[in-house]
Amino acid sequence: MLANITSSCIKGIEGFIVSVEVDTAAGMPTFSLVGLPEQEVKEAKDRVVAAIRNSGFDMPLKKITVNLVPAEIKKAGTHFDLPIALGILSAAGQLGEEAVKKLNDYIFIGELGLNGKVHACAGVLPMLISLKKQSSKKAVIPSANIVEAAYAEAEAFGAKNLREVVDLLEGKIPFEQESAAKVVLEEEQELTLKEDFCEVKGQALAKRALEIAAAGGHNVLLMGPPGTGKSMLAKRFCGILPPLTKEEALDILQVYSVCRLLGKNKKIFNRPFRDPHHTISNIALIGGGQNPKPGEVSLAHNGILFLDEFAEFSRASLEVLREPLETFKVTIARAKDTFTFPAKFTLIAAMNPCPCGYHGHTTKTCNCTPLQINRYKAKVSGPLLDRIDLTVSLNPVNYKDWQKNSEGETSAQIRQRVVAARKRQKERFKDSSTTANAFMSVAEIKKYCPLPQGGGEILEIAMKKLGLSARSLDKILKTARTIADLAGSDDIKKEHIIEVMQYRPLDRKGVSDI
Amino acid sequence: MPLTFDEKAALLKINSFSYLRADWLGRLLDIFGSGQEILKQDAKTLSEEGKVSLGTAQHFLKSATEFDAEAEFENIQKANAKVVFKGEEGYPETLLAIKEPPLALYIRGVLDTSPNAAAVAMVGTRKITPYGRRVATKLAEDLTNSAVILVSGLARGVDSLVHAAAVRSQNPTWALIGTGIGRCYPAENKELARAILDNGGAIISELPFNSPPLAQHFPRRNRLIAGLSRLVVVVEGEVKSGALITAKMALEQGLDVLSVPGPIDSPQSNGTNKLIREGAAMVMDARDIIDALPLNSKLGLNTKKLYSEENPPEQEFTEQEAKVLSLIGQETKTIDDMAQALKIEISELAGILFNLEVNGVLICADGQYAKKKF
Repeated sequence: MLANITSSCIKGIEGFIVSVEVDTAAGMPTFSLVGLPEQEVKEAKDRVVAAIRNSGFDMPLKKITVNLVPAEIKKAGTHFDLPIALGILSAAGQLGEEAVKKLNDYIFIGELGLNGKVHACAGVLPMLISLKKQSSKKAVIPSANIVEAAYAEAEAFGAKNLREVVDLLEGKIPFEQESAAKVVLEEEQELTLKEDFCEVKGQALAKRALEIAAAGGHNVLLMGPPGTGKSMLAKRFCGILPPLTKEEALDILQVYSVCRLLGKNKKIFNRPFRDPHHTISNIALIGGGQNPKPGEVSLAHNGILFLDEFAEFSRASLEVLREPLETFKVTIARAKDTFTFPAKFTLIAAMNPCPCGYHGHTTKTCNCTPLQINRYKAKVSGPLLDRIDLTVSLNPVNYKDWQKNSEGETSAQIRQRVVAARKRQKERFKDSSTTANAFMSVAEIKKYCPLPQGGGEILEIAMKKLGLSARSLDKILKTARTIADLAGSDDIKKEHIIEVMQYRPLDRKGVSDI
Repeated sequence: MPLTFDEKAALLKINSFSYLRADWLGRLLDIFGSGQEILKQDAKTLSEEGKVSLGTAQHFLKSATEFDAEAEFENIQKANAKVVFKGEEGYPETLLAIKEPPLALYIRGVLDTSPNAAAVAMVGTRKITPYGRRVATKLAEDLTNSAVILVSGLARGVDSLVHAAAVRSQNPTWALIGTGIGRCYPAENKELARAILDNGGAIISELPFNSPPLAQHFPRRNRLIAGLSRLVVVVEGEVKSGALITAKMALEQGLDVLSVPGPIDSPQSNGTNKLIREGAAMVMDARDIIDALPLNSKLGLNTKKLYSEENPPEQEFTEQEAKVLSLIGQETKTIDDMAQALKIEISELAGILFNLEVNGVLICADGQYAKKKF
């Protein structure tokens, strides 16, 4: 007898439909699994046999062949257990006529325990999303993954064990979309932040730079001695970014689903904040592996990638960042296939000004030689620095500032301005794929960032006297555009350009002494 | 009697031996009479006569014979430079008096070899503080405008500021460098080096044309800085620093050493304060330095302005700029400090600071602003 069950599989972070064909024939009782299964799929054999027996069914003593179509694509994941088990039951005639017919109405995803329990598995959300596009079938998924059905707005049944699935097929229990499936995606996310900007004392310049970064999608480099609040500021950056749109949220959730990082909470979370340690390998950062998985840059998609001790990252790790910073995605090529992961993040890098950390500190002495300091700074120079629009030098906060009672602005207040500035940008870029000022193309810069009266002279003076390089001019214009948006101004004004100069300490060589 | 070409080549070969080059090279010259004669000897004779080990003598002979003197002459000519040998005309007289006078001196530009030239060495730390920057600039400007020739080492920090002050006023300044004159170290001073030559200054070294910047070169060139100057001024320097080595050399050569006092808790001023405690004269303005010059050197100076009571016209600032400047005072301030103290928005303050910075009134490093001038 032959059975054909529909399931799905993940390639990168996209799902595609897989048919699980099961054939039982007379002969020596064997079980073979074909169709390029990875190790965890091969192990399904043992789990399925035990699960069938322990759920009160008979394991047929026949020659069983399972084939995963399309057979030329590698399949990974433990979620083939449930469709294989159902295929065997169906092929062995252990399901009623009604149930066999109903098998065609569903797509099955689920890992089985030896006792027949359906366990959670990775990548349910992208599978459901692609399923919605490709067919009209309903889905049976592990009940632990039911939240993902809600995110995907798919019709799904959350199964707890194999017996329950058979009962569903035989009509003994009704198909009801579990209440979880009605999770309110539209629910206006309240900003419930554990950390707020008003807790950061002093550092007005850095706060302003982060506000600009949030408003225009710019990358930031925070530079300063230890204890000046670099990490503290970065952690609070999420709170001033505009709220996630539904599309953005779904993009993030898909990546998290593949990496099994989705919690059970039904609300869509905040923008992701990823802060990998500086010893991270370049593969862990960018994604990859034999069976390519998203890396930190993709986990930070639509959120923040915070690289503390920026200059301590290996050169290889920093170099791989160039592609996502340029194209907002990561492409991993294999001989047979190419995988693409989204990676549109705001980079916040933090570093000390010198190896010992105290260069420029008001009270502590730095022991580094000028050569060491230059070398340390040069570690991050070049193409990577070209993608960073704002740089801030932080200085230690003095006690007077610190104990001052008056609290600064809250994240919510700053966020309001950011949202308003983003709205202006949305209007500006309504006919283009650009979403924020930081992503403007050269043509768009020309179109939307005309120099104000006298602006050209400022840039000229800055280049001549401060040693600003020509390659930073575009970045200055983009940032000035954002500052103008924050000020609610249609045109870039002189003072906007001058303010940007404060955020470019690294490429100004200082007024020439000669 | 002028030296023959062959003799010059032989001297260049001998001079190129920089391994522990010591007084014995001079001694050998005295004994054998000429460079050519020295190179004809074998290692054993040299070691016996010069009282050096046989190994060193062998090493010396090998490196001297391998040195390509002709290529060296070609390089010198191409660079429009010259080389003068000890005892030749054009060799600075004052250098003859120092310990271990260089056998050869490579010179780019114009060097006034008169023993009465009003040459003042100003040296100091490479890790300059805003205070040191202000002082060095002010003193150097006043001196160069009085027609004093500033002598320094073209290093980062104080040295560069001193040369730059002279160059700005289009006055000559001499740079004694720790590499061959065919190189520039540190590389960022290339432009400064060119400006020195353009304004009638000189770049001088005793090392072969293409010598790299090796650590052992620098203390040795410090004796030349002192040797070409009438007195030495130390602006800022740690207790263990090249600047203090120069001061020591100057004392050995019988020159006056003047020192600029600084905060007692600043490592960069530890060395200069120590010099004062040990008896160096204290510098509080450029007049202190001029007063310390030997009479013969003072003759050609133009110090009228320096001694007149008139204050130079103050630069005009807007009300806001004046407020910012008086807040900064002699300290360093961050933009946050200033915004808070003056209750101005960061965006507005940025404009004020930008103007002051491009006009050379303020300097910004690592987010901190300090006055650039007195």
